[in-house]
Amino acid sequence: MADIRIEGLHRRFGAVEAVDDVSLHIRHGELFTLLGPSGCGKTTLLRMVAGFTDPDQGSIHVGDRRIDRLPPHRRDTGMVFQNYAIFPNLTVAGNVAYGLKARRVPPPEIARRVAAALGLVVLDDHGERWPHQLSGGQLQRVALARALVIEPEVLLLDEPLSNLDARLRVEMRGEIRRLQQSLGITAIYVTHDQEEALAISDRVAVMRAGRLEQVGTPTEIYHRPATPFAAQFVGTVNLLQGTVVAREGARVRLRIEDQLLLVPAMVAPGSGLSIALRPENLRLLTPDAPCPEGWGSLSARIERVEFLGPLTRLEIAAGRLTLHVATTETVDMVRQGDAVTLAYDPARITVFAPP
Amino acid sequence: MRALGVRSAFPFGVTLIAFILLALFLIYPLAQVLVASLLDPTGTTLTFANYGRVLGIAFYRAGLINSLTLGAGAAAISVVVGVPMAFCLARLPIVGRNWLLAIAALPLVLPSFVGAYAWVMLLGRSGIVTQALASVGLPSLSIYGMPGLTLVFALHSFPYVLLPTVAAFKAIDQSMEEASLNLGATRIATFWRVQLPIALPAVLAGALLVFVETIENFGVPFLLAEDRPILAVQAYKLFVGEVGANPASAGVLSMLLVFCTVAALLVQRRYLARRRFSTAARSQPPELVVGAAGRIGATVYCWGMVLLALVPFAVVVVISFMPFRGPVLHPGFTIDNFIVLIDRASRPLLNTLGLASAATLAATLVGLPIGYVLVRYRSALAGILDSLSMTPLAVAGTVLGIGFVLAFNAGWLVLTGGWLVLAIVYAVRKLPFNVRAASAILHQIEPSLEEASINLGVSPARTFVQLTLPLMIGGVVGGMVLTWVAIVSELSATIVLYSGPWATMTIVMFQALEGGSPGVASAAATVLIAVTLVPLLLVYRLLRRHELSLT
Amino acid sequence: MTVNVGWFKTMAVGVLFLSVAAATAHAQKQVIVYTSNEDTLNSLVFAGFEKDTGIKVQPVAAGSGVLVRRLSAEKERPQGDVLWGISRSLLDTNRAYFQPYRSQNRDAIPAEFRDPDDLWIGNNLHVMVILQNTKLVPEADGPRQWADLLDKRLKGKIAFTDPVNSGAAFTTTTLLVGMFGGGEAGWGKVANLFTNAKILNKSSLVFQGVGQGEYSLGVSLEYAGYLWANNGAPVKVIYPAEGTVVQMEGCAVIKGGPNTTSAEAFVDYINRKDVREMIFAKTFRRPARQDVDLSHLPGGMPPLASIKQAPYDEKLWTEARAATLQRIQDVIVQTR
Ligand SMILES: Nc1ncnc2c1ncn2[C@@H]1O[C@H](COP(=O)(O)OP(=O)(O)O)[C@@H](O)[C@H]1O
Ligand SMILES: [Mg+2]
Repeated sequence: MADIRIEGLHRRFGAVEAVDDVSLHIRHGELFTLLGPSGCGKTTLLRMVAGFTDPDQGSIHVGDRRIDRLPPHRRDTGMVFQNYAIFPNLTVAGNVAYGLKARRVPPPEIARRVAAALGLVVLDDHGERWPHQLSGGQLQRVALARALVIEPEVLLLDEPLSNLDARLRVEMRGEIRRLQQSLGITAIYVTHDQEEALAISDRVAVMRAGRLEQVGTPTEIYHRPATPFAAQFVGTVNLLQGTVVAREGARVRLRIEDQLLLVPAMVAPGSGLSIALRPENLRLLTPDAPCPEGWGSLSARIERVEFLGPLTRLEIAAGRLTLHVATTETVDMVRQGDAVTLAYDPARITVFAPP
Repeated sequence: MRALGVRSAFPFGVTLIAFILLALFLIYPLAQVLVASLLDPTGTTLTFANYGRVLGIAFYRAGLINSLTLGAGAAAISVVVGVPMAFCLARLPIVGRNWLLAIAALPLVLPSFVGAYAWVMLLGRSGIVTQALASVGLPSLSIYGMPGLTLVFALHSFPYVLLPTVAAFKAIDQSMEEASLNLGATRIATFWRVQLPIALPAVLAGALLVFVETIENFGVPFLLAEDRPILAVQAYKLFVGEVGANPASAGVLSMLLVFCTVAALLVQRRYLARRRFSTAARSQPPELVVGAAGRIGATVYCWGMVLLALVPFAVVVVISFMPFRGPVLHPGFTIDNFIVLIDRASRPLLNTLGLASAATLAATLVGLPIGYVLVRYRSALAGILDSLSMTPLAVAGTVLGIGFVLAFNAGWLVLTGGWLVLAIVYAVRKLPFNVRAASAILHQIEPSLEEASINLGVSPARTFVQLTLPLMIGGVVGGMVLTWVAIVSELSATIVLYSGPWATMTIVMFQALEGGSPGVASAAATVLIAVTLVPLLLVYRLLRRHELSLT
Repeated sequence: MTVNVGWFKTMAVGVLFLSVAAATAHAQKQVIVYTSNEDTLNSLVFAGFEKDTGIKVQPVAAGSGVLVRRLSAEKERPQGDVLWGISRSLLDTNRAYFQPYRSQNRDAIPAEFRDPDDLWIGNNLHVMVILQNTKLVPEADGPRQWADLLDKRLKGKIAFTDPVNSGAAFTTTTLLVGMFGGGEAGWGKVANLFTNAKILNKSSLVFQGVGQGEYSLGVSLEYAGYLWANNGAPVKVIYPAEGTVVQMEGCAVIKGGPNTTSAEAFVDYINRKDVREMIFAKTFRRPARQDVDLSHLPGGMPPLASIKQAPYDEKLWTEARAATLQRIQDVIVQTR
């Protein structure tokens, strides 16, 4: 069982606390993503697992094996580097065979496994090519094949797609996910791209300044962000702050700018609250349509329309409050300048404890 | 550039072995000699008084200033001449480029004292050129004094800058300059702001070698400085002068040379500390397209500089075929000098070739891992190792040689009297070349390559051998060639250590030149040039083929 | 990678070959001679000695300062057998490294040119002279005496050796201090001489410089003048009218050297009358033994008796050496 247990991990560079008390349990066969802005410590955490950076404190276990004291070449992790780190002096096949040779796999088996690994990444005929003859996407796949062919307990990927173009990125992330699942391998995936994280992960850890902000499945992270930071970093969100003016059972009325919103919270009037509201949870009603039971509504005007194909993004002003809205309504129904009613289900509002 | 943060016995082992070797073969013998500078006249009490006394003498202060001026001047000229030339050789369609590259290291083959003799034959007060100029009424340019000295040193040692810089320019990934051009920079701005800064570590490493070799050398100023004080010459005379031998003062001056070198090294390190780049060049930059005029200009410039540096060779070769009566040169043609030589120098020639090869091998085997550890596993200890491994350059050969005799002529480790001691001294003296060459090329290899290898299960030590070494090979072989060539022309340590049948070609030349047989000395130099040219050409050919297979 | 392996192999084979060569070189009887003499003299004598005795000479040739330094560094386990071509004062100060040998030719050498305990013995004599390049200075316009070198018009034209590095130059300088009136007056005139002079690093640079025409005049050794003149160089030897000094060079058997018997054979050989004559004919080294008739030999060198020698207190100046060197150095600095 190659689950990964990280406990109380610390690493400091000079004055920077690059990784600050991180504890994680990554399950066997899981694709676990470290998500966060650049400089938040993702690479450092990953490199501590790989053994290229020594932790100041804490421990890392893979299964029952404690690995943080092992030299990196005995940790049995396969790593895909951001710049691929393809050996320029070896052919594609030579690169893929590299780790197998280190493990003294017999040559016939090496040939077989290299061919299989290249097949896996759809580079069957490219074994004899030299790295400088390959495109970025192909190099990326060589790097992946090279890491996978040794059948590591753990696969580590450090922003593996950041050097590729958008289409290739989408294609490749699917490949990676497919391979990871079919091989049943435990993987840690580092990215700063939230869409990528949501698309392929079993679970995601949002990091900020060396600390874990939230760990959860993509839907949990998306729908129930634990902090404003997590909410804002994953997907588009309306992040609002206001003051409670009245309590109504399990709800409060929250004043934000010159608007009042119904929010599921039980705090006394006068307290401040932060809330998050995803654009797709705001619904446009035609002026005469009824508001669903238990929902709140605001009168508003459409300020800006952005047609994205499957959905349309709107910027809507309710008094002095500007909100982002996403709708699947056809674009003909919404025109800039139209007066609309904006309805929302208070249950879909995420409320954060006051800062 | 990032260091490898890998936990491994490899860097520790290398550092330890390096410290042991340097302690045994550098510090211990040097201490035997230099302790004298720290003793009072009774030889019992430690004191710094000697330093105060020597530095209080205007003559030696002037010597210090002259030496530093000379070193800085030679280094500056080497850079000014060598860098554009390196760029041309790396990127322009120079006619006969491969030949040029192969003979570019040649100036280093000629022992500097022979080179100085050749310059006097040309530009001395009765030199051929001087007299020719005088006969048409032109003022003669004097080879004596500081300008002449600076020029001779620069011409002798600019290959130290040229060769690593060519490699550095070649190792810059094409995308760098494309990015710069794309951002609207002109070619010239791109050179100044992108390519030159990236190649700067190699340039400075070369310039440092020029500086240090210049201030350490005494053969050239011995002849050309006349009575201007030069530190290395004064140290030599105080050390082994027939009349005024004064070990304490000699020790002070020798230590001053060491301090200057270490200071220069520290300045360089400081400057480069924040300017370390790695540019895993996946695609070698292509030749630039220039017009016929550009091509001719660059070709003339490159060939002109190399040929100018080779003028002493021409003089030596010509003189080797001229008859001498006693010490007096007469016009004519003869092969007598070579006939005398065959009898006297066949064994020394073999000695030179064998010793240089053995010592180069040893210096590489030790220097390469040191260079690797210095770049990839930086630590406080590595900093000390860095300075220490540069020190041999600054130590006059005579001083190190005598140190070896004092340390290893009797007692628990006896080395003197055979070939081994020469090989070791050569290896120690030229170790810095290998360390430098290794670290220069390493700065251009992306460390993630090694991490990838380690991650795939190959230990750091084996990663070094099986991945890094092949990637470094161009730079390493370049360093080996420099080392080999520099050893071939070594004199000052040899003269205090050789014995029995182990005389080298430089000894033959020195004796002949000193002893009023410049014809034989020239013949010996001619043979040495011919013999070293072959391996130089061979190595560069092989190297080129290797490079091709990489691209 | 294959490239590199090939290169290593080549070198390894070379080293192996050398080791074999070294092993075979030891069979013959040999003597290791530390010599500060020039190449021509070395080759001449070593070839003759080998032919005469069958003993192979392994020379270690370097300046006498280097040789003496090497000698003292090797005192625990001497590497050489004979020290040859060393000045009397240097031989005297390094007596500790020699072992006594009563040469067959001992009695042909005047007592002043050998050690009372036979630790060293003289071979040849250098007379300090002025050399003149007759192409640069017409023959008749040359100096006749030391005092002529003080002429301001000669500025930059005289080559002199740095007394720190040359016993002969040290002796000449101190001789002149005395000759020019001694004390401050003497030093003052020496300073005038140095003002005119280029102080070169090595004595060979002086006579080579005059011979090749780099310098018009040089304060140098007698033999060099004859050597260059007789081989066709425009060089004239001037024995200064006020008188000059004679410098002796000799040899010694190194204490505890590996081939002492051969060393003694060598010491006998180089002082043999016929050998001295042969050496003189080729290299103009004035013999220390006084029974060689120079008038029968080429070159036309005058007998020692006809050369005016000035009084010189070698003992006194040797004792005052450190202070004197310092003074000389001060003068050099002041006159640059
Ligand atoms: N080798 C290092 N030396 C000094 N600081 C470092 C080093 N590596 C990372 N850091 C610092 O640690 C922090 C986290 O870096 P990193 O883990 O690379 O972030 P990420 O991969 O999330 O972008 C950053 O502030 C970075 O500057
Ligand atoms: Mg990162």
